[in-house]
Amino acid sequence: MKKISQLIFLSAFLLLIGGCDKGFVEINTNPFAINDIDPGLLFAGAQRTNLGGWDSESTVVQQFVIPYNLGATLGFNFNENIDGTQNGAWGQYTGAVKSFVQILNMLKGTTTKVNLQCITRIWKASVFMNIVDTYGDVPYFKTGLAAIEGESAFFPTYDSDAAIYDDLYLEITDALSKLDPAGDYVSADLFYGAKAYIPINSAAAQVAQWKKLGNSLLLRLGMRYSKANPTKAASIVAEAFSGGVMTSNNDNAFVVYDGTLFTNGNNGGLINNNPRFYYAAEPFVNQLKSTSDPRSKYMIASFADPNAPLNDPAPNTNVAAQFGLPVGIPNANITVANGYRGPKGSGFDYSQMNVNVAASLTTPSYWVTYAQTSLLLAEAAKKGWIAGGDVAAQTYYEAGIRADMNAYTVILAKTKPTNTAVPILPSVSVPQQDAYIAQTGVLYDPANALNQINTQYWIASFLNSSEAWANYRRTGFPTLARNSYNDALLANGGDGYVHRFTYPDAELSKNQVNYQAAVTAIGGIDDLVSRVFWDTK
Amino acid sequence: MRKLTTLLVLLLFAGLQVAFAQRTVTGSVTKATDNTPLVGVTVIAKGTTTGITTDINGRYSIPVPNNETILQFSFIGMNPKEVTVGTQTTIDVAMEESSQVLNEVVVTALGIKRESKSLGYSATSVKTEELLTSKSANMMSSLEGKVAGLNITLPASGVGGSSQIRLRGQAAFTGANNAPLIVINGLPMDQGARGADGANQRDLGDNMSNVNPDDIESMTVLKGATAAAIYGSRAANGAIIITTKSGQKNQSIGVEYSTSYTFQKALDYFNFQKVYGEGLAGNKPTSQADAAGNGQLSWGAKLDGSDVYLFDGSVVPYSFQPNRVGDYFQLGKVSNNTVAMSGGNDNGSFRASFSNTTGLGIEPTNKYKKNTFNIGVNYDITKRLKFTTNINYTKEDYINPPQIGQQGAGSMNFLTRLAQSIPLVNLRANNTNSATGTEAVTSGFQGTILSPYYAMAAGALYINTRDRFLGTSTLRYDITDWLYAQGRYNYDYAISFAETKNPGGIGTSIPTNADGTYKGSYNVSENWETNVNADFLVGVSKKINKFSVDASFGGNTFRIKNHNFNENVTNLTVRDLFSIPNGTIKTPSYGFSQTRVNSLYGLAELGYNSMFYLNFTGRTDWFSVLNPKYNSKFYPSVSGSFVFSELLKDQKWLSYGKLRGSWAQVGSSNGVNAYDGSLTYSIGTNQFNGQTTASITNPGNVALAPNPLLQPFTVTEKEIGLEARLFDNRLHFDLGYFDKVTTDQIMSINLSDASGYTTSKQNIGSLKNSGVEFLIEYTPVETRNFSWTTSWNTTYLKTEVLSVGKNPDGTPIKDLLVIYYNGTGNEFLGELHYTVGMPMNQLYTKTYLRNDNGDILVQNNGRLLATPTTVPVGSSIPKHTGGWNNTFTYKNLTLGVFIDYKLGGTVLSSTYLNMTRQGMSDLSLQGRRDGENGLVFPGVYQTTGLPNTTAVTDLQGFYGDYRNLQIGDPFTFKSDFVKLRSITLSYNLTNAVKKAAFLGFIKGLSLQASCRNVAILYKDIPNLDPEAIQSSGDTRSGYENSSLLTTRDFMFGLNVKF
Repeated sequence: MKKISQLIFLSAFLLLIGGCDKGFVEINTNPFAINDIDPGLLFAGAQRTNLGGWDSESTVVQQFVIPYNLGATLGFNFNENIDGTQNGAWGQYTGAVKSFVQILNMLKGTTTKVNLQCITRIWKASVFMNIVDTYGDVPYFKTGLAAIEGESAFFPTYDSDAAIYDDLYLEITDALSKLDPAGDYVSADLFYGAKAYIPINSAAAQVAQWKKLGNSLLLRLGMRYSKANPTKAASIVAEAFSGGVMTSNNDNAFVVYDGTLFTNGNNGGLINNNPRFYYAAEPFVNQLKSTSDPRSKYMIASFADPNAPLNDPAPNTNVAAQFGLPVGIPNANITVANGYRGPKGSGFDYSQMNVNVAASLTTPSYWVTYAQTSLLLAEAAKKGWIAGGDVAAQTYYEAGIRADMNAYTVILAKTKPTNTAVPILPSVSVPQQDAYIAQTGVLYDPANALNQINTQYWIASFLNSSEAWANYRRTGFPTLARNSYNDALLANGGDGYVHRFTYPDAELSKNQVNYQAAVTAIGGIDDLVSRVFWDTK
Repeated sequence: MRKLTTLLVLLLFAGLQVAFAQRTVTGSVTKATDNTPLVGVTVIAKGTTTGITTDINGRYSIPVPNNETILQFSFIGMNPKEVTVGTQTTIDVAMEESSQVLNEVVVTALGIKRESKSLGYSATSVKTEELLTSKSANMMSSLEGKVAGLNITLPASGVGGSSQIRLRGQAAFTGANNAPLIVINGLPMDQGARGADGANQRDLGDNMSNVNPDDIESMTVLKGATAAAIYGSRAANGAIIITTKSGQKNQSIGVEYSTSYTFQKALDYFNFQKVYGEGLAGNKPTSQADAAGNGQLSWGAKLDGSDVYLFDGSVVPYSFQPNRVGDYFQLGKVSNNTVAMSGGNDNGSFRASFSNTTGLGIEPTNKYKKNTFNIGVNYDITKRLKFTTNINYTKEDYINPPQIGQQGAGSMNFLTRLAQSIPLVNLRANNTNSATGTEAVTSGFQGTILSPYYAMAAGALYINTRDRFLGTSTLRYDITDWLYAQGRYNYDYAISFAETKNPGGIGTSIPTNADGTYKGSYNVSENWETNVNADFLVGVSKKINKFSVDASFGGNTFRIKNHNFNENVTNLTVRDLFSIPNGTIKTPSYGFSQTRVNSLYGLAELGYNSMFYLNFTGRTDWFSVLNPKYNSKFYPSVSGSFVFSELLKDQKWLSYGKLRGSWAQVGSSNGVNAYDGSLTYSIGTNQFNGQTTASITNPGNVALAPNPLLQPFTVTEKEIGLEARLFDNRLHFDLGYFDKVTTDQIMSINLSDASGYTTSKQNIGSLKNSGVEFLIEYTPVETRNFSWTTSWNTTYLKTEVLSVGKNPDGTPIKDLLVIYYNGTGNEFLGELHYTVGMPMNQLYTKTYLRNDNGDILVQNNGRLLATPTTVPVGSSIPKHTGGWNNTFTYKNLTLGVFIDYKLGGTVLSSTYLNMTRQGMSDLSLQGRRDGENGLVFPGVYQTTGLPNTTAVTDLQGFYGDYRNLQIGDPFTFKSDFVKLRSITLSYNLTNAVKKAAFLGFIKGLSLQASCRNVAILYKDIPNLDPEAIQSSGDTRSGYENSSLLTTRDFMFGLNVKF
C-alpha cells in the first residue's frame, strides 16, 4: 500500500514539476497588442507640443485674465503660486519627450531613417527650450528613459539650464548638418508631411522646410542669449541666419484642426467651462485699441452674455468698443461703484477672447512662425548681429507685422462659420496693413525700435504664449505695469514679475533628493521670481 | 470502477483475515440523538495495532484476539467510547456528540475539516445565525465588529455596494489587493470589489454578493498567513472559507422559506451655519444672474426672511432651509426572499435554493436587483467514490449607483456646496433652463457642481448587469481507509454589460459643441472573464496508538482570461439619441488579458495523544506575469498547538486550554498585471487630419514603465495564542498576538515625470502589521428560561512602514507620496504618504505656519501663512477595532445588543473644507458673529512676533486661503467612533407551532427584527458619519469628499421550515 501512495506522489510530482511554468512567456504576451511600430507615427503622435496656456503664460504677459480668486481659478492674476497653472511645459516629459527618446532609441545606430532622427532631435530640442525657459534647471540628459534603462532612470537628476542650452545648440546644429535631401521621407510629419496643411511629398522638399524651421529655432535660441551673453547671441544668430530661416508663412510650423475629432486644446476651456471666468486683459486690449489694430476683431470680442459666447453669433468686434479687464482685481470688486464696468449677464461687461476666430476650437496651433522669425531678425539687424542696420531692421519689422496679419487668412479659413448668422470677417487688406504700419507709434522708429519690435512679437505670439513670455523676459518689452494685487512677487529679490514657474509640487515628493538639489542650486527657494540663466537682471 | 473497488476491499479484508485469524466482532455505530449511521468512525482493538473505520452504513467488522479486548470508538465531534468485548459477537454503539465547544470542527484551508484543538493558528468559525439576524444587501455588514482581527467597513456607496474586508491590518501598500481570499466551496476568488475606489466611481459590489447568507452552512475566517499558507500567493491577506449547504443524507424532502424586508433611512449629521445666506461680501443676491453666479457662496447677508432672488428668477424668503440634505434622499428599501429545498437518501443529498433581492437605494433612481440560484449535490457513486458539486448562478442589476467621493456629478457635492438658503423645491422643479434646454445655472462652478435633478430629468442612466456562473465539482476516491485522492475543477464565468447615457446640457449653458453637434455621450461596454481553478489532492490519515498523522499533497492551476469591448461616443448628431452611430467622435476599444499561476503543495499534521499537534505546509507558486527568471516562490509554514487541559483533567474549573504558535511565509505577485512587463504601442483612435498617429501605450491610463526585475513579494507572519474555556464553558477567552512583515512588496511607484513615465512597479515596500487580538465571552446568567451571554472582542493594530525603496545613490528613501489629492484636479486637500518609521497610510497636509513657541503666524494684513511643505497629520488606519456583544435569551426570544468601535484613525474632510471656504460651515461664522467686524485670527505677526490685531473683513478670501494654501488643520479629524451598531430581536416560534397539531407540517418558524446603525455614541468628525467613506479600497484611504450619507436600517424577517 505504501508503494502505491509513493507511486502516486512521485508520478504526480514528476508530471507537474516539468510543466509548472510551461508556456508562460507566450501567455504573458498580449496577442492583441502592438509590439512594434513605425517610429514616424510615434513622431506624429507627439509632435503637437506645449504652446503655453491662457491662465498661465497669457496671464503673466497680461493678455488674458481670470478675475475670480476662487480655488482653481486663482493664479497669476493674484500673484499666487498655484501648481495647476504651471505644469504645461513639464507635462511634455510624459508626452513628447518620452516618444522622442523612444524613437531615437529605436533608430540608434541605424542610418536608414536619418531624416526622422534629425527632425526628432530638432523638435526635441524645441521642447527642451520651452521646458528650460519655463523652469530653469530641469532634468535633461537622462530623461524619458524609464522604459529603456529601467530603475536607474526612474528619478532623473536636474541639469544646469545653461548646460542644457549648450547641448540644445549642439543638437540642432548637428541635426541640421545631417539632414539629407536624398534620405528618408517622413510622410507622417504633421508640419511638412503628406497630410500637412500644405502637403509635402518628397524628402528633399521636407528637408528644405526642416532646415528653415531648425535655423529659425536656432535663431530663437541665439536671441535668448542677448542679455546674458551678447557675443554668443551674435554668433549663433549669424549662424542661424546664414543657414536659412523661414521666409514666408508657408514655412510656418503649424497644424490645423477639424474642430470635432481634434480641437485646439487651449481653447476648449474658454468655451466649455464657465466662459464667464475668462476675459481679455486691459494692457493687451489697450494696445490693440490705441493702434486700431486690424487683428483685434479676430482676437477679442464683446459677447452678449459672457457665460454663453456661442449663443451670440455676432458679437461686437469693433475695436473701439472693446474694454480689457484690469489685472489684479478680484471679482467681488468689479462693480460700477468701484469705477469698473460691472456685471453683464452672469459675468462682467468686458471683452473676451473671440471664440469664433482666434480662440475657436478650429484655430490652428502655431509653434514657430515666419512673423516671429522676421521680428527676431529685425532686432538682430538693429543690434548689428546681422547685416543691414535700421534699414534692414525696418524691413524685417514690417514684414513680420504683415506676415502675422496675413497668417489670419488661414485662421479665418479654418474657423469659417457654418452658422450663417455668424458674420464672416474679412482678412486684413494690404491698404489696411499699410495704414497700420504707417501710423505714429507703429511706424519704425530707430529710437524706440526694440520696444516696437518686441511689442509686435507679443501680439504675434498671441496664440503661442510661452514664446510671448520668454521674449518678454528677454527684452522687457512691451512695458507692462506690475500687477499690484499684492507684493508677493517683490519678496526674495523679485521685481514684481513672474520670471519662472515653480517645479510641479508632485516633483517635490516624487523626486525629492534631486528636486532639493535643484532648488538649492537656484538659491534655496523654488519661487516665481528666480530667473532662468539667460534672463539676467 | 466499482468492480475494482470491490476487489480492492475484498483483498484488503482477505489480507486482514489472514493476518489475524481470530474471531471477529461486527456491529454498527450510530449517532445517539437520531440513530443515523456514523461513517468513518475509528474502531481500534485496544492493545493491538488493529484499527478500522466504519463503512458507509456505519458498519464495521474487526478481529479481536480475546474476550478481554476493549474496543475503542472515536470520531471527530463525538465523545470517545470504550466497550469490553466479552462474549459478544455483535456490538452496536450509539455515540454521543461531545460538548460542541471542546471539539469544535473547523473547515480549514482546502476544505479539510480539523478539530479546532489541533490548529496552531487562529481560525474563527462565524456563527452563521449572525448572518441571518440582521440581513442587509451586503452580507459582510453583519460581521462588522464581530470577529477579532477582522475589520469590516461598508463604504456609503449605495445599495448593493462592496465592503472593505481587512484581516489583521493592511498587509500591503495600496496598489495591491488587501482583501482576504474568498473560498466558496473550494473555489478561491479575490474579493473583486468593482468600482470601489471612490473618486466618482460607482460601487458595483464585490464577489461576496454571489453568496446568499441563507445558503451558508459554515464560514471560517482564517486570519493569518499560516492558516492560509496552503493557498499560497493569493492568501497573503488570510482567507474566508465558505461552504454552502448541500443537504443531509437520509433526510426527507424539506422546504425552507425566508423573507426579510429592510428600510434604510439616510442619516444626516450636517451642521450648517444658519445665520447667513447665499451671496458675497455681506450682500444677498440682487438679481437672478447674481443668484445663479454665486449659488455656491454663503457669504451673503443675515438671513432675515426678506425677499431674495434665486437662480431660477423666483423670489423667496431669505431663510435657512433645514434638513435640505436629508430631504433629498428617499427611504431605501431592500427585500430578500429565499426558498430552498433539500433532501437526501442513502447515497447522497441535495439542496437547491433560489433567492431574490430587490433594493431601492436612498439616492433617488438607485436600484439593485439580484437573483441567485444555488444547487449543491453530494453523491456517493460507490462506497469509495464520492462526487460533490455545487453550482451557483447569480444575476445582478445595478441601476444608477451613486457617483461619490469627488466634486462633479455626485448629489452630495451638489447638496453640500450650494448655499443652504436655496430651497430644495426650487432646485428640483427648476433644474432646466427652458431657453437653452440645458442645466439651469445654480452656481459659479457650473462644471463641478452638477444638479442631480437635471440629470434625472434629462434621462441620465447608468446600468450594469452582471451574470455569473460558478461551478465546483469534486471527485474523491478513498483508495484505502487512510488514503484518498481527490480532483476538483472550479469554473467561474462572468459577463458584465454596462451602459451609460449621459444627456446633453449637463453642467453647461450651451447644448451644442462648437462644431454644431450636441453635447452628451453614450457608452456601452461588455466584459467577459473566466477563472479556472483545477487542483488535485492526495491525502493520508493514520492513527497509530497515540500518534496521528494527516498528510496531503496537491497541485493547482489557476487561470484567468478576460476580454472586454468598450464603445464610447460623444458629439451626438441628434440630441439625446443614445445610439453608437449617432455619435461623431467614436472611441472603440478591445482589451484582452490572460494570466496563470501554477502551484504544488504539501502539508502534514502530526498529533500526539490529542495533546500535541504539529503542522507543516509547503507550497511553490509559478507566476506567468513575471519575468521567467524570477517567476517562482516557495512558501513554508509551521505551526503547533498544545492542549494543556489534557494534562489538567482533574482541574474541574478548566474545561479546555490550548496554547498555539505558528510561523509562515506566503508571497504574492499581487499588483502585477498581465503584460506589465512589456512596452506596447497604441494607434490614435482617430486620424489627425487623415494622418495615423501612434503613442506609447499607457496601460490603465497611466504612463507605466515596464520593469522586468519584479519578483514575488513575501509576507512573513508569526503568531502565538492562548485559548481557554473555564467553569463549564461559562467563560471563554482567546488571546492572540501576531506579527506580520511584508517585504519587497511590488508597488506602483510614482516616477518623476522627467523619466517619461508617471509610474512603474518595483519591489520596494516593506511594512509591518502587528497586533493583539482578544476575545472574552462570558455567560453570567444561565437558567432554564433565561440566559445572558456577553462577549467583547478587540484588536489592537500597530502598523509601521519599514522601507519604501532606495535612492539612486543607495540611501533609503524616507518617504513615498501615494496621492497628491489637489493634483488630481478634483480634490482639495492633502496627500497620502508612506513614511518610513511611521504608521501606514500617513495623511499629510500643509498646516498653519507657527513660530518656535507654537504661535500661529499671520501676515501683516492678518491673513494666514502655510508651512512650506506638507507634514504628517496621522494615519488613516484605526488602531483599535472591536465590539461588545450582548445576547439575552428568554425562552424562545433572543435579544442582541451590539456596540462596536474603531479608534485611532485620521481622516481629512474635504467636504468640511468646501463648506468653510464657501461660508456654509459653523467655522465660517467666526469673524461675522454678532459684534464681530471681521476676523482677528488668534496668532502673531510673522514680521514682529506681536499678537495679531488686524481684522480681516474679506472673510471669503480668508477662508479661501485654507484651500489655496492647503492648510489642513481645521479639516483633520479622528475617524474614531463608538456606535450602537445593532439591536436584533429574534423569536423562535417552532415550539409554539408544534403544539398546534394542524400546523404539524411546519418544522420550524422564527421571526427576526433588527435595527442597524442605531446611534453614534461618540465621534470626532463634524457633519458626517465617520464611516461615510467612499471607498472599499485603500487607495484613497483617509480622504473624504462629498461622501454619501450612511443609513439606519430596520429589518423585519421571517424564516419557516416545512
